[in-house]
Order: sequence, then C-alpha cells, then structure tokens
Amino acid sequence: MKVGEFIEKILMIEIIKGLWLTLRMLFSKPVTIQYPFERRKVHEGFRGRHALVRDPFTGNDKCIGCMRCTTVCPSRCIHIKREKRENKMVVTDYVIEASRCIYCAYCVEACPVCALVLTEDYEYSQYSIENLVFDKERLLKNWDEFTKKWGKDYYFNKFWQPPGIDPSRWPKTKREQGPIQIKRVEEIKREGIDESFIN
Amino acid sequence: MTDNTKELIINLGPQHPATHGVLRLILEVEGEIIKKCIPHIGYLHRGVEKLSEDLTYVQVLPLTDRLDYLSSMINNVGFCLAIEKLMGINVPERAKFIRTMMAEMARICSHLLWIATHALDIGAMTVFLYAMRDREKLLEMFEMVTGARLTVSYPRIGGVRCDINDKFLEELEKFIEEFPSKVEEYETLIDRNRVWLKRTKGVGVITAEEAINWGLTGPTLRGSGVYYDVRKFFPYDAYDKVEFEVPVGKNGDVYDRYKCRMLEFRQSAKIIKQCIEKLPTGPILAEEAPRIRMPSSPLKINKEDIQFEIYLMEKNIEDFIKKFTEVYASVEAPRGELGFYIVCDESAKPYRMRVRAPSFVHAGALSRLCEGSLIADVIANIGSIDIVLGECDR
Repeated sequence: MKVGEFIEKILMIEIIKGLWLTLRMLFSKPVTIQYPFERRKVHEGFRGRHALVRDPFTGNDKCIGCMRCTTVCPSRCIHIKREKRENKMVVTDYVIEASRCIYCAYCVEACPVCALVLTEDYEYSQYSIENLVFDKERLLKNWDEFTKKWGKDYYFNKFWQPPGIDPSRWPKTKREQGPIQIKRVEEIKREGIDESFIN
Repeated sequence: MTDNTKELIINLGPQHPATHGVLRLILEVEGEIIKKCIPHIGYLHRGVEKLSEDLTYVQVLPLTDRLDYLSSMINNVGFCLAIEKLMGINVPERAKFIRTMMAEMARICSHLLWIATHALDIGAMTVFLYAMRDREKLLEMFEMVTGARLTVSYPRIGGVRCDINDKFLEELEKFIEEFPSKVEEYETLIDRNRVWLKRTKGVGVITAEEAINWGLTGPTLRGSGVYYDVRKFFPYDAYDKVEFEVPVGKNGDVYDRYKCRMLEFRQSAKIIKQCIEKLPTGPILAEEAPRIRMPSSPLKINKEDIQFEIYLMEKNIEDFIKKFTEVYASVEAPRGELGFYIVCDESAKPYRMRVRAPSFVHAGALSRLCEGSLIADVIANIGSIDIVLGECDR
C-alpha cells in the first residue's frame, strides 16, 4: 500500500467527501413535488384517459363507425355496436375497456374524423373495474370533464396529425381537421355567431 | 461440531425487494456459503412471442414496450430494425438520428435506475435519491415528445412517430451539459467508499472465456474484458456516424461491471451531444413505410396464405418453405444484445417471433456467479447483471 492511500484510509477522505456532498445538498432547492397538494402539469400530447370528442355544433360525438380503431387496437379493447337505419350506418354504442388498454394511441392516429382522443387527464383510478369500462355516454362525459379543466378555448391533440408526417398519408377529413372549439353550441349562439354556420 | 452441520435450502424471492422484480432463487447453503443456486423464472410470463403471431407487425410494436420496460425505446428500435430489414425499407436520415438520440436517452434512463437500485441493495441510500432526481428529467423529456413516460411506442416501422421540436432539443442540450457532473456526484459517493469496495471487489468473478461461454453480452460481458458491442460491430441507425468508445473492464467482478456502466453514462452523453449537432432536416418517415392500418404493400394478407395446412396438402413442401423468410436484427440494449428473430410468411403477421433477451441469459448465469459466495453477495450479483424480469419471462 502506498503512503498516500494509507493516509487516505486513516483520515477517511472518501467518506468525508461523500458527506460533504450530502451536506451541500441540504442547502439546495428541493426537487420533490408534494403530490396530492401540488400537481405536475403534464405536457401536451400525454396519453391519458379516453374521451370521445363532443362536436361543438351538434353536441354529439363525431364517430362514423368505420371500425378502424377496432382493427388497429393491439389489445382489442374497443367495441363498436352499429345499426343500419334508413340505409345509413349509425353507431349505437362505443365501448372502451380502459383496464385492458395499453395507451399506444394508435386508435387516435387511425381515426379519420378525429373523433377519439386520449386526453391529458391522468387521475381516474376507480375502486371497481366495471367503472373502467367506458361506454359512449361515459366517454362523452370524460370529454366534458376534461374540457372543464382545459384552460384554453381550443383543443388539438398531437396524435391526430403527428408533426413531421407527410399529410398525404392521411384521409381527407383528417387533413382538414382543425382545432376543436371547446365552447358548446349554446354558448356560441349566445355570443351571436351566424346560425347558418352551425348547419 | 462438524457432525451437526447440514445443508439448508433457502428460498430467496419472488417477493424479495432486492431481486428486482419476481426472480426466485433457491439457494442450497452450508453455513453462509452457497453450494448451489437455482434461478426460477416465469412469474411475469405474458406470452408476448405467441401473442405477436396473432397481431400485425404494426400492432406488435407496442407489445415490445413491455419486454424491458425500463428502456422501451430500445426494444421498439430493435423490432423496427428487424421489420425494416424484412421489408427493405430505407429509413430517412433524420429519423435515424432521432432514434439514436432517444435510444441513448433510454440507456441513460435505464442505467440510472440500475445504479439507484444496485446501490440501494448494497446499502447506499443517497445514490438512489440522486439518480431518481436525474431520471425524472429524462422521463419528462420522453413525455414531451412521445406522450408517455415509460412505454413510449415512439419509433415506427420506417421512421419515428412524430417530429421533435426545438424546445425539446434545448432542454436535452441543457441536461446533457450538466449530466457528467451529476455522474461525478454518484462517483464521489460510492466509487472509493470502503463499504462499497468491500461489497463489490472480487465478488462474482467470471473470466472472459467463461463469460462468452455463458452467452453474456453488454456491460456484463465487457466487465470481464471482452470488447464486444453491437453498436460497434454491427452498426445500426446512426451509430456509424457518431464517435464513441466502448468501455471495457478487467477483472470481471461486480466492481468492474459497475465501472463499465458508469463510463457508459459519459459515452451516451457524448453520443447525444453529437446527434444534436449533426441532426439533419428532412422527412421522419420513409415513403414505403406501412400505414398504421396494416396490411399494406409489399406484404399483403391473402386469405389462402394464412391456411397453411391446406396449402401443405395441395403443394409440395419445397414451395411451402420458399414462402418463408427469416430475419434477425439485434440492438445493444442497456442489458446486452437484444435480438428479434422473425420467421415470416406472406401475410402481415409474423409466423413466429423469438426474442433473444439478455436478461434471460444473464439470469441463467446467476447460478455460476453465486456458487461458492456468501448469501449477501447474491444480492450484489443480481444487481450487477442488471436483469429485468419483464424481458426475462416475456
């Protein structure tokens, strides 16, 4: 053993160095977030609770029942019930089993009319697993709950039109999709916007 | 007194907090010395390989997140590389650089969790807190780009999913600037600490020859002094366009494996820095990349092709075999060489997928590493080979 190493061992230099580091940290700003009292703001495009977009003009969902989301879903947790009424396909129910979902957002990307979204909402734990089977009403309610928290007038999800991808890869309806107005149609009426625009 | 001694069988795990998940070890001990160590795995088996036979290539991609959930980005890249090789897709340059950058971020992320838990197992609590502090920043950056913190599903067959923005690059640059000083902090705490040295030096020694025979890869192999890295030997993505070194250990003990990973931190930071500098502009997805709704060209589902039994009866066996193509692509995951071996027919689904998981191989070598050592050293060994049971059991 060299003399230097011996002195280092006797004087416990390496331990003192470590303790000095921890002591210095005592006076630095804490990085911990006290979770239930303060919440971290998630970034835009976070894949959280599912919701069906409520069309501000019709007050209903936008799903056309093309079944693309069900075919693309890797965990097969989306079920669509549809009926033929007067030569028109009508979506009667739209069910997502959130407990089976793996949050890949492929459904959001595949949707041609941007009807489905994984919102930035992340606190939705339930006591019972039945409450995590979202039907159409529940999904629309999720959207309302989310928009209440969302501070801006418009909402646009990143995965509807992923940045950097050539738009020619999407269907026409998807390409033309702009940000969604969060205000309901009644509120728009109240503010005096032309009614012909609604129809 | 020797007449009273008898062999004792101890069950370590699967709920033991230091076994990094659900690894179960059966230890035959004589006093404090281990005579035999038998790893039992399979508590986290989800059948990813079998499941993937029923899904299209695009749909399998999110499943690969769940293999090694600490570095899901690298798993995705490995799978994408295999499929790109199969379909002959040329990935655009920008996508390659973004992938390399994000993969190195995932490597730092994974190594940070490794140093945190490994040090915690051996008895250094402070490192855990410091490493988690820095990991949080990286996870936040992942969230900014990919929309998820852990299971990113960010790469896409033929490129990446969405473009990165300047805000992300700025933050990453800031992080990379100060990261080497953070690594020094961890080293100050444990590198020369006498307790750390006593617990790691000369423990779990494996020679270079034996390590190769056991099939070890990654930092576990490099700790024994073998120069092998998939990034250098079979470069993929943009690794041939960046400069980096592969740190190699000498003695093959727990300390050398620790040292290797600590040096890899700095190399990863170096790679990310170069990627930011060299990041080209252009498209991020190849034109021939399959659409999210597979099947698409060049592999199309044909209903007759799926029914193999019928096909076999009608045509001869040679025609049947010709229909199949096989492909193997591997990446350097934080734990070692992660390979995807895919046998495919003409449909859009893999006929058979096999994942060469480094954790699985390393868990097997645990019996060799632990033999003849003390019970306390088993924990150090498990930490040093850095296994993730999600990948091991698949």
